[in-house]
Amino acid sequence: MRQITYSEALREAMGEEMKKDKNVILIGEDVAEGYKGCFGVSKGLFEQFGPDQIIDTPISENSILGAGIGAALIGMKPIVEMMFSDFIAVCFDGIINQAAKIRFMSGDQYNLNLVVRLPGGSGGGTGPHHSQCLESIFLSIPGIKIVIPSNAYDAKGLLKTAISHGDPVLFFEHKKLYKQKFDVPEEEYTIPFGKARVARDGKDLTIVATSYMVTIALEVAEKLKENHNLEIEIIDPRTLVPLDLDLIIGSVKKTSKLITLEEGPLRGGIGAEITSLINENCFDYLDYPIKRIASKNMPVPMSGPSEKEVIPNIESVEKEILDFLK
Amino acid sequence: MKKDNKLLSTFLEKMLLVRQFEYKVYEFATKGIVFGSVHLCIGEEATAVGSAMGLESKDYILTTHRGHGQALTKGADPNKFLAEIIGRQTGLCKGRVGSMHAFDKENNNLGAQGILGAQFPIAIGVGLALKLKKSKSIVACYLGDGTSNQGTFYEALNIADIWDLPILFVCVNNLYGMGTHYDKTSNVAVFEKAKSFNIITETADGNDVEEVYIKAKKLISKVRSDRRPALLECYTYRWLGHSAFDNRPYRSKEEIKKWKAKDPIKSLEQKMIKNDISAKDIEIIKDNINKKIEEAAKFALESKYSSIDDSVKA
Repeated sequence: MRQITYSEALREAMGEEMKKDKNVILIGEDVAEGYKGCFGVSKGLFEQFGPDQIIDTPISENSILGAGIGAALIGMKPIVEMMFSDFIAVCFDGIINQAAKIRFMSGDQYNLNLVVRLPGGSGGGTGPHHSQCLESIFLSIPGIKIVIPSNAYDAKGLLKTAISHGDPVLFFEHKKLYKQKFDVPEEEYTIPFGKARVARDGKDLTIVATSYMVTIALEVAEKLKENHNLEIEIIDPRTLVPLDLDLIIGSVKKTSKLITLEEGPLRGGIGAEITSLINENCFDYLDYPIKRIASKNMPVPMSGPSEKEVIPNIESVEKEILDFLK
Repeated sequence: MKKDNKLLSTFLEKMLLVRQFEYKVYEFATKGIVFGSVHLCIGEEATAVGSAMGLESKDYILTTHRGHGQALTKGADPNKFLAEIIGRQTGLCKGRVGSMHAFDKENNNLGAQGILGAQFPIAIGVGLALKLKKSKSIVACYLGDGTSNQGTFYEALNIADIWDLPILFVCVNNLYGMGTHYDKTSNVAVFEKAKSFNIITETADGNDVEEVYIKAKKLISKVRSDRRPALLECYTYRWLGHSAFDNRPYRSKEEIKKWKAKDPIKSLEQKMIKNDISAKDIEIIKDNINKKIEEAAKFALESKYSSIDDSVKA
């Protein structure tokens, strides 16, 4: 099968949908001419679709998101790009009070086909305002879907679903994945929300990992197989809302051990939510208390060595797993 | 009836509808039939009616939290609206959200937001979509004087200008943001703020429905033809408090008296009499509106409370 990067997969998804429907538009800072996306994700789209579908904006995140909400209100299918996922904090009102609630508030008269693309994650030495993983914050905001692809295949299939989903979608991308290549078929496909993926089969331990942490988990799993003869099962939820709890429960019933692994901070994270759900649904199957691996409860520092101390990495994850199994 | 007289009668009908509707909501609120509070626009009817009557049905509207008058004038069914305000299933929004979030798709009403200033970014998106679709519609985005101090207002003025968006901003200047006088919050008049972004503006006596209507019509037709934003600022006054149960300690009795003497409905009636419309004809209009409001009240009170079903869980 051909291999393309995560960036190319996102671009293909947008391009295919834009070709089908002129109502699909991309709005954001530096997405059109010039930069073509801060990380080059929209490269070539302006040349192909022009200023009616690829729209550069002033530095006004409230209005960028609002442009998406307003356009979606009257039937368009906007994709809004936040240059860095951290910038969504500037427009929390739009996400939390408008986008998430318009379907409910309007008594189902209006719904929004709205995707907010959010490049997140650490690893670039970009410090506290350009490195965060904020997805878990939105778990407690009913009315929005949370999508978090860990590879190019999922990125493409999930983005195509998101564009016409009918409710607002926060689409968390990871900057470290943009240049990674993955198998992606030529032919068109979509991936439904709420269908998790078994990223690796195993019988000894279940790890639920998201985004770039799936890459880390896979590498650690190979090492642990080689050095300790462990067979680790890795579940990638793909979407946090809706969450495919059944697949996770099935895996926990098989392995009786669960670790959650995410890049965002430990406190109130994805792991906290999944831990509660597993405790409520299949506590009796667990051999050990559930272990959460996440970043430390602190802002992301800039320097490489400090970043490594704060964010889970191959060495730290391997050590935590071995400690857990002791 | 002369053409002008017909228009005056229509103004009266619509303004009375708003006022009597608001008094009915106030009555419901004092009787404890309304959950929470409501923001009423009694005293501001000329601004709501004069501006929204200038719009066409294909035009869109984003109303304020004090927007019952704006929504009714755009066409909202008083029965469904009143039912919404008291949380009934037959309400505009299935009785889910009440007074502050009236969405009414049938009349291109894109809703009111309880967060002041949230309407501006949305207006940008609606304006952008209208531009991309090469539509002939425009969007009217209402705001209060106080909300012109939100950062989103300046973003919206800037983007509406730079992108050439067909947005009419309508400022209902009632002097107070909740209990704080505008003079305490900004040294720059609302229309001056818009002017600095190359946006054409008009100001109007917001208690003179004819003046508001004429100026709104002029700006609406300009926004429609030039595909450019404009702003209309109307000076008016809310007779009641910020919310229904606010005892208004921040305003003097003299100030309230002065503004009540400029009752927009009474002055319209005087104009009608001068134009040879008979007192009897005015009474007929009043009776019809009163009947309509009583019917709406009956409809709302007889409707069932809204309930939560699984479809709203997300």
